[in-house]
Amino acid sequence: MPAAPRHCLVFWLLLAPLSVLPAQAQEVAGTLGTMGSDTMAGLMLRWGEALTRQYPGIRLQLQASGSASAPPALVAGTTRLGPMSRPMNEAELQAFIERHGYPPRELAVARDALVVVVHRHNPLESLERPELDAIFSDSRRCGAGEGVHRWQQLGLDRPAGRIRLHGRNAASGTHGLFRQLGLCDGYFRPEVNEHPGSAAVVAAVAEDPRAIGYAGLNHLTPGVKALALRDADGKRHLPDPEAVQRGDYALSRNLYLYLNLPPGESLPAAERAFLDMVLSPDGQSIVEELGFVALLERRRLHQRRELGLDEAGR
Amino acid sequence: MTDTSPPLFVRRRLRQGRDRLATVLVTAGGIGVILALLAIGVFLVVEVVPLFWATGATQVVSPETLWSPLAGGDDSVGHRWDPTASLVEGESPRVSLVPLAWGTLEAAAWALLIAVPLALGAASHSALFMSSRLRSHLKPTLELMEALPGVVIGFVAGLVLAPWVERHLADVLAMLLLLVPGLLLAGSLWSCLPPRLQQVMPLGWAGLWLLPWLLLMVVVAQALSPWLEAWAFDGDLRHWLEARLGLDIAVRNAMIVGMAMGFAVMPSVYALAEDALSGVPRSLAEGAQALGATRWQTLWRVVLPAASPGIFSAVMIGAGRAVGETMIVLMASGNAALMTWNPLDGLRSLAATIAIELPEAGPGGPHYRLLLLAALLLFVFTFLVNTLAELVRTRLRRRYRRLGGGA
Repeated sequence: MPAAPRHCLVFWLLLAPLSVLPAQAQEVAGTLGTMGSDTMAGLMLRWGEALTRQYPGIRLQLQASGSASAPPALVAGTTRLGPMSRPMNEAELQAFIERHGYPPRELAVARDALVVVVHRHNPLESLERPELDAIFSDSRRCGAGEGVHRWQQLGLDRPAGRIRLHGRNAASGTHGLFRQLGLCDGYFRPEVNEHPGSAAVVAAVAEDPRAIGYAGLNHLTPGVKALALRDADGKRHLPDPEAVQRGDYALSRNLYLYLNLPPGESLPAAERAFLDMVLSPDGQSIVEELGFVALLERRRLHQRRELGLDEAGR
Repeated sequence: MTDTSPPLFVRRRLRQGRDRLATVLVTAGGIGVILALLAIGVFLVVEVVPLFWATGATQVVSPETLWSPLAGGDDSVGHRWDPTASLVEGESPRVSLVPLAWGTLEAAAWALLIAVPLALGAASHSALFMSSRLRSHLKPTLELMEALPGVVIGFVAGLVLAPWVERHLADVLAMLLLLVPGLLLAGSLWSCLPPRLQQVMPLGWAGLWLLPWLLLMVVVAQALSPWLEAWAFDGDLRHWLEARLGLDIAVRNAMIVGMAMGFAVMPSVYALAEDALSGVPRSLAEGAQALGATRWQTLWRVVLPAASPGIFSAVMIGAGRAVGETMIVLMASGNAALMTWNPLDGLRSLAATIAIELPEAGPGGPHYRLLLLAALLLFVFTFLVNTLAELVRTRLRRRYRRLGGGA
């Protein structure tokens, strides 16, 4: 698609609101401001690049300072697209509805999982959720009898000594999600070393045979081993793509895009182009390239239909 | 040339005008700084107040929860910092600032414990004994050290030093045990040397010819450490510490933070203390030595007291930097909000907590205000340190003014 001269673009933009044509403009242009999850920063960046290749007039602006920064930005109206690595909580939804009068549109755009990692030489292979909880929390809401402080308590003869805990900083999406899924909303032990990034957690575990930590799925390195989780029937589930897609692996989640879209209105052109790309097979292959897991096909097509992406034109 | 310059009264006028302008600018600058400081304080207070007296949906935190320990069931007693915890009905919020304040002070204390003796020793040596040529090279080098960004130091400390120390704990212990006696030994060996050799290795150049000796000590310590570990610690120091003393070792711990931050604080303490020491009039030291005092007596009884106001403010500046330092603590401490006396445990400081959590705390929410309260506390800490420093400094300066002592 050849780039149009600038005056032509301005003309199109002026014309757009009057246009009786459906919103899919031939020359989509503008800046898409987004604010939110740092887990999704790489993903948004690659999607943005793909979008700019498709429509040279569009730029995706990215501010990735954590999932919790998306709802305030959506409420204040500084952005219309908020990537979040967890669903909005009740308070955030209420704040949005109070301001705008309608709930934000929630889209699942990829699957992600948390992995529990140990040093590559650690003999441990799998854990039950209560055990995981007993290792990381001092509240044990998932039903474990007593706290697990030493490797011996897990029936291992090595490594010797206390378990050293590593995790993400409070207020990161990963921290919140692990609290919710891994600790049954309990309390972390104060001994957990809090790192400012998943890569730092994995690096810390990779250098210490006595360490255990949790991190995002796409941060696995050869230095660490991802543990399988046993479900209630004692079946082991490794964090492989199928188990994550279906949700059999207990620590898996959706990655979301939240959209400020008044009910009944159709998507603005730039957002439409972006979501069309995200929910296309190409967009989902970018998801896989970055180490996340693609959506189930059924879910992807369902969301496309809901947004009306397959109607007019494309 | 003379005919082009303006007449005398014009020049005087001009000069007066410039003087007045400069006075106004300097005064305005001073007032501006004070106003900015006040504004920051007022901003923090205004932002924090709704935490205690809310006028809306924000959750109110009672002051006691900030200072008093939890008396929960299970394992979770004591002070807890877990501001994003989802609370069960009837539980008090886990937002005690005590472990953070503790971590800040503990980290600063370790840093000063490491930096101050080294910096003051170096400053005394270079101000009084070192040859001026060596000193003219050494001082700028040390000041260059000060320019190293905290992130870099923290990165090296957290990712390289910490795992190395954890694996080579016995080596580190052996080095600590060997270095001080080794240096004393070097001193006494030197005084036994024949005068010709002493001339080749003069005291003023000790900084250079001691380097191979120090390297030798490090090598000896490494060679001795397995033997030391086998003899005194049943073959495994880490295991011994845990079994005998109940000390649990974290890879990133207060010692590592102390070392890294000590390294960061040392150059500024050194530079200020060195200035203060070399500001002491030569006549004082020479007089003392003429009366028969040894070098040590001169340093300890005459020069150090005379320079004490400057040295004290050097240490206090170091303390202020150590309390406020963020990146080193963030990367080297493990950020575990613990309260223990064990220097091999992790810690968590106020500044690191603010840096790590503020970007993700929603503005206006209780978590955000709690972090601003932490910032206020940090502000008060540094303010107190600086005020105390200034008070003691003026006190000391008045006392030693008769001696003509420095800075």
